[in-house]
Amino acid sequence: MTGPRATAQPDSTPSIVGGGGGAPFIHAPEGVRTIYLVIMGAACGPLVAGTVIFGWRSLVVTAVAVLTCAAVERMYYKITRTPALLGRSHAYLTGLLLALTLPAFAPWYVAMAAGAFAIIVGKAVFGGVGHFLWQPALVGRLAVAVIFPAWLQPVAWPLLAQNRLLVGDIHRCRAVDDYRQWRGRPAPAGADGFVITRPATVLAELTADPPGFSTLASASRDAARNKGPLLLELPPINDLLVGTTPGGIGETCAVVIVVAGVYLIYRGYVKWQLPVFFVLFAWATVAVAPIRLAGAGETTTVAWFPLAAEGLDVGFTYVNYHLLSSELLLAAFFLAAETTSRPVTAAGQTVFGAGCGVLAMLLKLYLQAPIPCYVAMLAMNTFTPTIDAIFSRRGRGRIPSRAA
Amino acid sequence: MFFKRYGKFAGGIDLPEEKGGLLDNPISPVATGLQAAIKHGLETATPDRLLVPLAPCGGAPARPVASLGQRVKQGQKLAEAPDGQGVDVFAPLSGRVAGTGSAAVAGEEGFLACEAIELTELEGAVNIAEAEPVFDWQAADQAALLERLESGALATYRPPVQPLSMWMRRAREARCDTLVANVVEGQPYVTSDHRLLAEFGREVVEGLAMLGQAIGALRLILAVDVRRTDYYRGVIAPARDHNVSRIAIPYKYPAGADAILVKLLTRRQTPPGGGTMAVGVAVIGAAACFAAWRWVACRQAPTHRVVTVAGEGVPRAGNYWAPFGISCAALAGAPDGTVHGGPMTGLRCVSHSVVSPATDAVLRIVQGDCSAPSPCIRCGWCADHCPGRLNVAALNDCFELGLVEQAGGAGVMACVECGVCAYVCPARLPLSHRVRRLKKALAAISETSPV
Repeated sequence: MTGPRATAQPDSTPSIVGGGGGAPFIHAPEGVRTIYLVIMGAACGPLVAGTVIFGWRSLVVTAVAVLTCAAVERMYYKITRTPALLGRSHAYLTGLLLALTLPAFAPWYVAMAAGAFAIIVGKAVFGGVGHFLWQPALVGRLAVAVIFPAWLQPVAWPLLAQNRLLVGDIHRCRAVDDYRQWRGRPAPAGADGFVITRPATVLAELTADPPGFSTLASASRDAARNKGPLLLELPPINDLLVGTTPGGIGETCAVVIVVAGVYLIYRGYVKWQLPVFFVLFAWATVAVAPIRLAGAGETTTVAWFPLAAEGLDVGFTYVNYHLLSSELLLAAFFLAAETTSRPVTAAGQTVFGAGCGVLAMLLKLYLQAPIPCYVAMLAMNTFTPTIDAIFSRRGRGRIPSRAA
Repeated sequence: MFFKRYGKFAGGIDLPEEKGGLLDNPISPVATGLQAAIKHGLETATPDRLLVPLAPCGGAPARPVASLGQRVKQGQKLAEAPDGQGVDVFAPLSGRVAGTGSAAVAGEEGFLACEAIELTELEGAVNIAEAEPVFDWQAADQAALLERLESGALATYRPPVQPLSMWMRRAREARCDTLVANVVEGQPYVTSDHRLLAEFGREVVEGLAMLGQAIGALRLILAVDVRRTDYYRGVIAPARDHNVSRIAIPYKYPAGADAILVKLLTRRQTPPGGGTMAVGVAVIGAAACFAAWRWVACRQAPTHRVVTVAGEGVPRAGNYWAPFGISCAALAGAPDGTVHGGPMTGLRCVSHSVVSPATDAVLRIVQGDCSAPSPCIRCGWCADHCPGRLNVAALNDCFELGLVEQAGGAGVMACVECGVCAYVCPARLPLSHRVRRLKKALAAISETSPV
């Protein structure tokens, strides 16, 4: 195949009468639509989990988002009179991923606005599938986070009670004072759930000024002070693993996200480097990012290395809370894996994932950004062409081992 | 083991084999014309007409020496190569010269139009086994062997097809110390080299030894597919006699691409854009070894080659000892959807496509999924599976934007043209075709403007 070129004949060059360019005549069975459908199937896992945890309104939000995306895409192609690419499978996928990032209590117009932004600003103006720079679902999510901050970032978040799963209405929730853990806690009378503080909000106090806590986990050294250990204020980590904590529809249930993500890796639609390095570098960043703790009196001490500040066991738990209390896993396994907006090669994806992880946790810790992982991913998407250019492969065999 | 096993390479893919019963299907003669069909007890017949191409290796056509209307015998010389270029052309079957015509023979980029001699009133069908050695080549001296091999009758029988004399000259000039017989045949459907080695193992090995002696190679290697070593037991004794190493190659496609095979066998990295002779390894196929043996030992003119006929709806799937010049469509027995060569690298047949030394298979593949290419979604599967370790998605960008020199910087010349990128592409982009065009454009640029 790389054999020597047929030696040129001097006197007559025969003319090609066709037949070239058709090979290969067989194809692997998987098409682009297959990819999108399989990712959609995997994304249904977090959707089901979200529907159980946050009630039937999750399905309403999802339906609105998906249908808006499909309708807007269809309208766009009709108005601009460009041929629709690949049908609407990517629009459905975008709508579904977008819905997973929205909270279940978002009203219909928020989902609709997000879907329209995702398709028009995120995708269509770039030229459709295969041409956009930023993950379209996140463009839509960021747009509504800016436009409707009150709806999407309330001070306290609703959550269904254990006895009102699936059938409960997330709009009928009531604030409770003594919420500690979700398990075994029935809904207050006349309501379907509680309105509580997100763990992420609690964790944000670590870098606030003045700091909110004196220690991570050890009992308060100074009883006079009004500030206690951090981990006492957080729900048990089981709640975060199972997803019974306030958040977006598909963001909270870590177990299901990881299982669905591993399925995508197994099918070959996602390279393992991307989610693994995303999570790994987020973990490392939180482990070494200094935090503020309240010292004696009004002073502030800085824990330069939180992982080892109060023993490794406390440090590990602290870091895991950080990872599980954000939208990190959904971003790492589903949103970052959007094929067009991530680098192509494994090396590029490693760097991309690592950058996303570091940036997401820095944004979360120090800027208290509302959706840090998504913002970080959008920022890294911007650098995708650069990363692709840096990590371009050069092909086999640069140096001949023996001169001709 | 009788076959030594060898290592791995990065990239590549397990293709569906699709060879089915053809692995055990013996090489049978092709009946041309109804009379021959009756005589040989064959059920079906192909048209009573051959268009024997006069330039099967491309280039200038051979000068006809047979006159119009003359009756010729099988193996009689029809045309003579001009000044050592091209190859002599012989009559594949006995018949009458009916005139000249135009045939299409497979070249690197597509079918080439080429003058042809039309033979009609064909008689008989040639059986592959009808050849008795009449010349003891091992006892003969080197000069006699060389003279016979270089006498301008043989071709290399694998793309790019060229006269064997030219190939031998280049191999000697490059001081090739290793000669590899590439019988890996990794493409789906194709079984011609496999059957040849399974049925005529001794002859192929002798041909290999002959060629090795002719180019002065110190080491002879027979590379086969690891899944099919059981078929090749007949090869073992002659290979031992002629000091040929037998090596079984993993079946991941494209282990049979020359650059990959040479890397696996010798650890020598073929330079991008160059041939394997640049690293001192000559690669030849089983068909050329067999033709060399017949030509030298049996004095039989090279007029036929083994062709696999397979695919969807082909009435006579099998391995055939097909005469040069038979129409591909007639051989396949199907008017449309005929493909010349393996499904990964072959060509879509045009009208007047005929069997030439480059033809290892005539397939009928009707593409069910005719969906038009969609934009690249940058899934990266092409880069994952590229045996040349190229980022094919980036090369596709270069193609779409016309950045030929940038493609050169991305290493486009390392492509081995195996077709895996286009095979896996979920957007159905013709990636291998685009990369090949980039290579061609880059070669043209570097020829016209030397830095």
